[in-house]
Amino acid sequence: MRIELKRVTKIHASRGRKVHAVDGVDLVIEPGELLVLLGPSGCGKSTLLEILAGLESPTSGTILFDGEIAADAEKKLFTGPKERGVAMVFQSYALYPHLTVAENIGFPLRVAGAREPALGEAVREAASAVQIENLLTARPSELSGGQRQRVAIARALVRKPSLFLMDEPLSNLDARLRLATRAKIKALQRNLGVTTVYVTHDQQEAMALGDRVAILNQGRIEQLGTPAEIFDNPATAFAARFAGHPPMNLLRVEAQENAEGPGWQGPVLALPGTTWFVPGRPPRGSTALLGIRPEHVSFVPAHTPGAIPAKVAASEKFGRDQLVHVEIGEITLSALVTGQAPAIGDSVGLILNPNRMKIYPDDGEVG
Amino acid sequence: MIKPARYWRKEEWQIGLLTALGAAFLLLFCLLPFAYMLAVAWAENHDFLSPQVDFRWTFANFREIAVPELHVPAYLANSLGIAGATALGATVFAGLAAFALTRLRVKGGRGILLAALALSMFPPISIAGYLFRMMAELGWINTYPALILPYIAWILPLCLWFLAGFFQGIPRELDKAAWVDGCTPWQLLRHILLPLARPGLLSAALLAFIFAYNEFLFALLLTVDAHSRTLPVGIAMFQGLHGEVPWGSLMAASVLAVLPVVLLALVFQKQIVGGLTRGAVKG
Amino acid sequence: MRLKPSSGKLGWLFLLPLGFFILVFLLTPIVGTIQSSFYQDVAFLPKRFTGLSNYLVLFQDSAFRQAALFTLLFVGVSVPLECLIGLIFALVLQRSLPGKGMWRALVLIPWAIPATVSAKTFQLIFQYHDGLMNALLQGIGITNAPIHWLGGAPSAFFALVLADAWKTAPFAAILFLAGLASIPDDLHRQAKVDGAHFLRRFIHITLPLLKPVITVVLLFRIIDALRVFDLNYVLTGGGPGGATTSLSLLGYQRYLSGDFGLGAAVSVLLFLSAWLFTWLYLRQARSVEA
Repeated sequence: MRIELKRVTKIHASRGRKVHAVDGVDLVIEPGELLVLLGPSGCGKSTLLEILAGLESPTSGTILFDGEIAADAEKKLFTGPKERGVAMVFQSYALYPHLTVAENIGFPLRVAGAREPALGEAVREAASAVQIENLLTARPSELSGGQRQRVAIARALVRKPSLFLMDEPLSNLDARLRLATRAKIKALQRNLGVTTVYVTHDQQEAMALGDRVAILNQGRIEQLGTPAEIFDNPATAFAARFAGHPPMNLLRVEAQENAEGPGWQGPVLALPGTTWFVPGRPPRGSTALLGIRPEHVSFVPAHTPGAIPAKVAASEKFGRDQLVHVEIGEITLSALVTGQAPAIGDSVGLILNPNRMKIYPDDGEVG
Repeated sequence: MIKPARYWRKEEWQIGLLTALGAAFLLLFCLLPFAYMLAVAWAENHDFLSPQVDFRWTFANFREIAVPELHVPAYLANSLGIAGATALGATVFAGLAAFALTRLRVKGGRGILLAALALSMFPPISIAGYLFRMMAELGWINTYPALILPYIAWILPLCLWFLAGFFQGIPRELDKAAWVDGCTPWQLLRHILLPLARPGLLSAALLAFIFAYNEFLFALLLTVDAHSRTLPVGIAMFQGLHGEVPWGSLMAASVLAVLPVVLLALVFQKQIVGGLTRGAVKG
Repeated sequence: MRLKPSSGKLGWLFLLPLGFFILVFLLTPIVGTIQSSFYQDVAFLPKRFTGLSNYLVLFQDSAFRQAALFTLLFVGVSVPLECLIGLIFALVLQRSLPGKGMWRALVLIPWAIPATVSAKTFQLIFQYHDGLMNALLQGIGITNAPIHWLGGAPSAFFALVLADAWKTAPFAAILFLAGLASIPDDLHRQAKVDGAHFLRRFIHITLPLLKPVITVVLLFRIIDALRVFDLNYVLTGGGPGGATTSLSLLGYQRYLSGDFGLGAAVSVLLFLSAWLFTWLYLRQARSVEA
């Protein structure tokens, strides 16, 4: 199922003011792909998911499912989830508490008119796909979080949907279960080949699961691309904050019109409180955000020419590496070091890999 | 400042004593009048507390009130019928309205709920006179509808308030899941909401039943004879077969009268308590 | 493809029965009653508009003043008493007593039975000859001679208050019980750690946190007590000499005598006073929710 969103907008009236929950989104979802909608709470990802599901209608714009209109605000056309062949797993799983697992899974089919023995067959098939055949007679209240989630997935899959939507399905699980389930979801999606849209605020999850990731901010898509593309090339400072673990450093740099350095002259971006600078202009305004990943920050002895003087403030283990936090005056920066790391309190020099630096317009947020 | 263990033991003992006293008070307070009623109903002489009179067991009082001239069985039937119809009507109509207010997008829902709550605080006398004339004009004086319809109207706001709160307690995500699963609003109601709302509907029905069963003023005004008179009115006007106040048979009739509601209260106390708490405090 | 289901319209359909009942059997009567109060509306006499004359007649009527006084007195005495008893019951019920459900059911019995039945029972209890009350008092030795309860105004008042308290303390108890349950245990534990005696804990923690519930219960009971009818109709008949006639009973009597205008006027006054407290109740109850 190929899905197209054209200039989809959803406006809510909240306390007299208009809020653009989704703002002019253009998106094409390729058949069989797992697309992740990533963003902080309030960015519109859940609303977008509900619009895709047919639970909400867009205020303006068009949605096409395999070329057919699923919703068109201007023409006042709208189809519900059933007609679209959509299935959804909710954050709280939304299992019907008064029905057994088997009845929960079979519910969509029963509502559509299915009866035994076809109903039971389909339920057993869906249950075995997520390995809960032994729980069919239990009630949701008797199940653990992980089991409930699998029931929700089975219920969604039993209809053989064309579009599979998941709203933060892992956020209610504990950390260990989250990782295991993540892998299972990826494998399941690959096996079934169903187009899937997955919403999360956890960027590690997004990068691990998605064939492509769409980063949303205040109802708009900031960047759309494969995890690798986003990692290598975050399009904006907002996207940069979301991609990568540990997160990218974002330093505020100021424009200075004329500086002299060995071999040239011209506008530079300078790190306040230091003599360090890099040639260039801010894309907008008089300040900019300089992005550099902790992996691309290296340590050299303190007074090496060209290095930024800094002091080590804290240090934490990060996997097999060490994440070292340094202070340059008021500014903090993190560096990822393999092997021996400087001790707390040491004075060091920092070298920022010039090929890996990104310059972004200043969006006013701290790095 | 750590208090020694015997301080806490002493406190536990004090609390225990007070609780025991309180429990005894509760027991006496609630049971004594009730026990007295039971005793008189089964006594040959109602003034058995007098030093000259003994207490003797008898069923005579109950036999006396079973007599058709006293109409007690008719009163009971009327009370049960009217209360049952009220409970049914109030629960169904309040349930539909509560569903509409909480689940279907109806504008001004909150205002309607508050207005309903305010309506339930009327003094009954303030509409009794008009109701009497209305019923008289319709020729409904002394009939079932004359009581059932006003009763339903009277208890609807409270039931609505209670059921709306109950429906709100059912997570909206279940609605969304059902819609995604392909339900129409009727299917949603039938398969999901109604089963989950059953406990609340039961509480509402109980409250409505007990209200209608116990109601007095309207029943007094709008009924004339045993054709539709209810037990509360029958008891109030009880004359006995011989003229003077026959306490024995009056108490026997009272026992009969309270039997249904006491049974309901004993069996369904959890639902009733839940209904009262949610209905009043949740504001 | 179709239009989105207009659930709004279905909603109004579902509200129709409710609207019908309330309009026809609640709103119309109250409007009609208010209208009646401004007319001379007596059986067999022609109806004519008289403005406020019914109200003026009432204010000059000693029976009305007596009924108003009684009603206020009744509310002022019985409501605090009921709430106090209810609070005590709630505190007792809060402890895990053996047979927990049985205690709660016990407390519900007075509330569940018809008011006329309990009124008749209390009439019996307050009987001059060998009623339970006199037998108890004489037996314990508090009094020597039997008291003619229903024969004197103050004693009849007392009998009414007691009967009303019996019937309504359970309601207060149940609400207080819910209020007590909503107080977090942590607060009590913290106070215990700080060394506070249970009486202090009660006064400084329980009561203040219970205040919103207490206010709600008080207001609810006031509104209810204002409209007392069943109890004094049966227990005292409004006597002796009209001393225990409530406003509701007075209105009923006026209606019975055929004067609909006066009866309506009494009803309207009672209705207004109930609404004052209803408004207060709504304001308080909404802040409880917050």
